[in-house]
Amino acid sequence: MNTPVDYVPFQARIESIVEETVDVKTFRLVFCDPAVAESFSFRPGQFGLYSVFGAGEATFCIASSPTRKRYIECSVNKAGRVTTELHQCNTGDVIGFRGPYGNWFPLDEMAGKNLLFVGGGIGLAPLRSVIWNVVDWRDRFARVTILYGARSVGDLVYKSELTAWQEMDSLNTVYTVDPGGETPGWAGKVGFVPAVLEEMKPSPANTVVITCGPPIMIKFVLASLGKLGFSLDAAYTTLENRMKCGIGKCGRCNVGPLYVCKDGPVFRCDQLRALPQEY
Amino acid sequence: MSPKACPAHSPTLYTAGPGWLDAAITAVVSGGGVVYAPTAIDNGTVQLAPTTSAATVKLDYVNNRLPLKAVLFPQTETLLSYKKSGGGGVQVAVADPPPAEILVLGCRPCDAAAMQLLDTVFQWDYDDVPYQRRRGNTTLVSFACAKPGPYCFCGAVGGSPADERGSDVLATLNADGSAVLKSVTERGGQFVQRLGAAVKPATSPAAPQQAAPGPEPVDLERVRAWLDNNFASDLWGEVALRCLGCGVCTYLCPTCHCFDIVDEAAWNHGERRRNWDSCAFRMFTVHTSGHNPRPNQTARWRQRVMHKFKYFPQRFGHTGCVGCGRCAEKCKAGQNLLDILRRISQENAS
Repeated sequence: MNTPVDYVPFQARIESIVEETVDVKTFRLVFCDPAVAESFSFRPGQFGLYSVFGAGEATFCIASSPTRKRYIECSVNKAGRVTTELHQCNTGDVIGFRGPYGNWFPLDEMAGKNLLFVGGGIGLAPLRSVIWNVVDWRDRFARVTILYGARSVGDLVYKSELTAWQEMDSLNTVYTVDPGGETPGWAGKVGFVPAVLEEMKPSPANTVVITCGPPIMIKFVLASLGKLGFSLDAAYTTLENRMKCGIGKCGRCNVGPLYVCKDGPVFRCDQLRALPQEY
Repeated sequence: MSPKACPAHSPTLYTAGPGWLDAAITAVVSGGGVVYAPTAIDNGTVQLAPTTSAATVKLDYVNNRLPLKAVLFPQTETLLSYKKSGGGGVQVAVADPPPAEILVLGCRPCDAAAMQLLDTVFQWDYDDVPYQRRRGNTTLVSFACAKPGPYCFCGAVGGSPADERGSDVLATLNADGSAVLKSVTERGGQFVQRLGAAVKPATSPAAPQQAAPGPEPVDLERVRAWLDNNFASDLWGEVALRCLGCGVCTYLCPTCHCFDIVDEAAWNHGERRRNWDSCAFRMFTVHTSGHNPRPNQTARWRQRVMHKFKYFPQRFGHTGCVGCGRCAEKCKAGQNLLDILRRISQENAS
């Protein structure tokens, strides 16, 4: 049975706004219609089209965990027309949301395995959804490690959560900033994410990698994983391409024969290797 | 709806006197429906336009200027309107419903076949409501082609001047407007019943003479096999050199379905609209960061050919081209898709 889509978004009220960096804000949204708020569900890795009426729609992942009900969150880098308008919004403003669309990180298949998260910059947003999901289902997984880096200390997102994860005995965390991006009080590592990953020497045995970040980071992370003996079918990432409909109709987000909106956004890295470089 | 929804229908032939066009228009218009028929607009250009009389219906033309998709998936349409109120609130209203009934009286068979392809896309896992609510109320009566134009190449890509795919009724016209009607779908059969005395069951099973098919068939399997191995071919750069990136080939293509969604704001209110878009444009795929996965016309032409002749068949089992020839006819730079296909089909597939 097909799902009908009329392109009319749910309305959602901005409940709170966190300024993550100078140009990234996290918005917590609560659906205006209590019936929608009650029935809405999604899986980690899925995305939606967020809209400011008058500016248009833009695509972002849902950055909160499906295990945390009542609200959804998105983290938005101020870059274009819609995101600039979104950054102008205040708590209490109503915006639009269509979704959830796309596939998700297959957490069911990852049960019993070690999880290694490798994130860079605002690429931590989709991983954050999975991380909190994993924290809430902690006994289903073996060792859980988070490697996260950004250009500078100021560019690290979710700072209070980074601290919270660090303080959890059930998670191993390694945080790093690019050389030159450290501050005098920085207690984490200094170095590019792929280099730090190689230094950590994670064992590929029974381990699944979930990575997201700038394309250049992902490229070198995959190379490092190769050196460490990981096979590409044990690594997942999430792609973004410009999209308008989110449901396989508007025709622009395809990478070769696959649509990021329908066949993704989550791809296993061996699947990605077989595709042309159209992302 | 699409023919695949009613597989049990057995086609029936009817003969229709010259008055059948008027009977059809009256039946639909009197019920509040809209009839689109080929109409001369200027300089002999023929265009599907709302019609209330058979007197303006053109019977001798090569094809309508804009493809049939323009009726069912308009170049621009309102998805919703909104009005912002104080305190950050917003009122949203959905777009007005389409006419209760739409009759297309005189699309060409290639355009009707193309609607089958668009149906596949717009019903792929998610039903596109704005499309479906027009399409679901639409009857397609195709006029079989008596004289294919110089750019027509339906025969090269699996179609024919009397192709029934996608049509509810296929009409083979005589010069005086009389015709042999073939009800292809159940919807088509119901439509013919509404024509009353203007039609009667045909006594002879043979339809009138059809036009000879156009160009020789292209080996589409061979084309696909070559495409499978030639994402990096030099051919794309060569083909793209000729392209101005104007997008006319995509706008006039009956199977191109790409669209943009934009907000048009006026102070505190406005509309969210869906507009045709084109893979020929740089902006089509460019990211906000400036990174563009299809950064040049080479990549965009490759996408156009790959989509129609590899990705679409892989995904949906049909070639994404019906050979209407509009892309070649209207290209100001002389780009010719059929030439490209012929060239590919002659390349070594490895």
